[in-house]
Amino acid sequence: MNSPADRGPLRPKVEVQFDRPHRQHEPGDQLAVRYRVEGCDGERIRAIEHSVLWYTEGKGEEDLGVHFFQRVTDRSLMPPTVTAGAFSTPLPQSPLSYEGVIVKVRWCVRVRLFFEGSRDFVSEHVFAVGRIPPAHPLVSSTVSST
Amino acid sequence: MRLPRLFAKKRGHRRTGSREWGVVGDGLFHGTLLIAGLCFGGLLVSGVAAPEWRINHEFRESRATILAKGLARTTIADPPAKVISHWRPCLLVRYSANGVVRESWSQGPAAANTSDREVALQRLSGWKLGAETVCWYDPAAPETVVLQRGYNWWLWLLSLLLPGALVLIGGTGLVRGLRSWGKSEEHRAASAGFSEMLDPLAQPTLTAPGFPAVPVCDDLVNSPGTLLRYRLPIESPENWTLVGFGLFALLWNAVVVVLAVGAGLDLLGGRIDWWLFALLVPFLGVGIGGIVLFTRSLVFATAIGPTQLEISDHPLLPGGRYDVLLAQGGTGTFRTLTLTLELEEQATFRQGTDTRTEQVIVWSQSVAEFHGVCAATDSRFEARTVVELPVDAMHSFTSAHNAVRWRLVVRGIPERWPAFGRTFPVVVFPAGVAVPDPAVRPGVVQQGTQTHQVSP
Repeated sequence: MNSPADRGPLRPKVEVQFDRPHRQHEPGDQLAVRYRVEGCDGERIRAIEHSVLWYTEGKGEEDLGVHFFQRVTDRSLMPPTVTAGAFSTPLPQSPLSYEGVIVKVRWCVRVRLFFEGSRDFVSEHVFAVGRIPPAHPLVSSTVSST
Repeated sequence: MRLPRLFAKKRGHRRTGSREWGVVGDGLFHGTLLIAGLCFGGLLVSGVAAPEWRINHEFRESRATILAKGLARTTIADPPAKVISHWRPCLLVRYSANGVVRESWSQGPAAANTSDREVALQRLSGWKLGAETVCWYDPAAPETVVLQRGYNWWLWLLSLLLPGALVLIGGTGLVRGLRSWGKSEEHRAASAGFSEMLDPLAQPTLTAPGFPAVPVCDDLVNSPGTLLRYRLPIESPENWTLVGFGLFALLWNAVVVVLAVGAGLDLLGGRIDWWLFALLVPFLGVGIGGIVLFTRSLVFATAIGPTQLEISDHPLLPGGRYDVLLAQGGTGTFRTLTLTLELEEQATFRQGTDTRTEQVIVWSQSVAEFHGVCAATDSRFEARTVVELPVDAMHSFTSAHNAVRWRLVVRGIPERWPAFGRTFPVVVFPAGVAVPDPAVRPGVVQQGTQTHQVSP
């Protein structure tokens, strides 16, 4: 049997539950999230960060907008003492989730675990804000460079 | 301990550099600038500024008699076989320091150094042998005496400005790096305000208050229409092209004129520089081409006449219907004139050392089409129509590198000129929200990474 050092860094598991079915939310909704952390196997966690954010995906450089951010450093609120957590926030009016051709806007919840030492582990869970249908290319694109 | 990887996987298909190595490189770069600034500043202060300050503040005043005068020469080797000499006027003076009579060669200011011996001799002639004058000596080293005091302001400015800029750029870069060290991407974005203030290259985007990532439309509603509420501003990259052509033609032909004057003077002097003439011919060709291109663009830009669009409300909402007035001025006949509502995506990305911007039209709807349009100088062509946005339309979106933009485009094919297109940007807000009247909107939010709510 391999020792923990031989197995490499641990891969914890973060299970997230959204309060709405199909992770579909509307602008202005209250987003409530519950999560459970498993598989830390006694490795000490020094902080947990909760965030609700949007990011862009596609051809351009990634842009990021943090809507909600919370850093928990109280050890009595994190594993191994407590393995579950929750947070909630009202969603803003914009931006809405968008599946474009070269620009995509995605909303997600991230739970980031900071272990003793410098290692951290992030778990990302995408959800939708609004109901914008996906876009399709119509004409050839134009590129300009500087 | 494992070193961080040089490349990290980005979302999508591209590989990007490792953030850890990026921070290390950034830190090294800014640290080097800071150290260089401190060393350079230290050298300038200790070598130039501090001695000058001591002369003006710590040296004691006395009376001196000029006994002899001469030039002090400093030679600097200038390989391979040259030596540069600098000359400085020096005076042997007798003076009393701390009750003791001394004789010493005075040290003039560093700025008195000159590489021209004649100039140095001229400066020296201002001093008369046997004359009595004021001198200042160093109380710590009484043999050091000067006959002139004052500040060399450009040296002080140099010693503050150049090292100061290096220290400022290096220091702020290091502070920014240290502030973000060990922080997650989300944490950095949530507390980005101060870091962005330190980043001279950060370009904050303007967003509408209460609507993160939706651009402001203040610039689109500050011009009232003649029949409808707002006159939309035109987005015209052609005008910048015209300015570019004009500047190119001007500068290039200025060079041609300089060359031609040189060649003409040679001719008048009875000499013919064939190389100059050979160079002048292609230069002249390019110059004439530049003038033709500029004139053609100017005529094209002014001959078609102005296009105006007015709209009944702004910003727009998905599912909304808006009256639009299209007006085309100028003279002549247009075979077709069309008005189209378009949705364009724009992405900016780096490719090597280039920054590229790609635009794709992802939705387009013809609003109106006119055939055989006649415009005259005294009566412009006007047509009123209705623009309707889809109920499930995406709102306008803007961030540092990405944008989703709505626009109305007027395209025309004139009878005697090439086809043209003129773009009028509009802003669409998310559906089902109460949009405040732009006229009474309190202001805008400056955003680098959008609004955020931070809990303790």
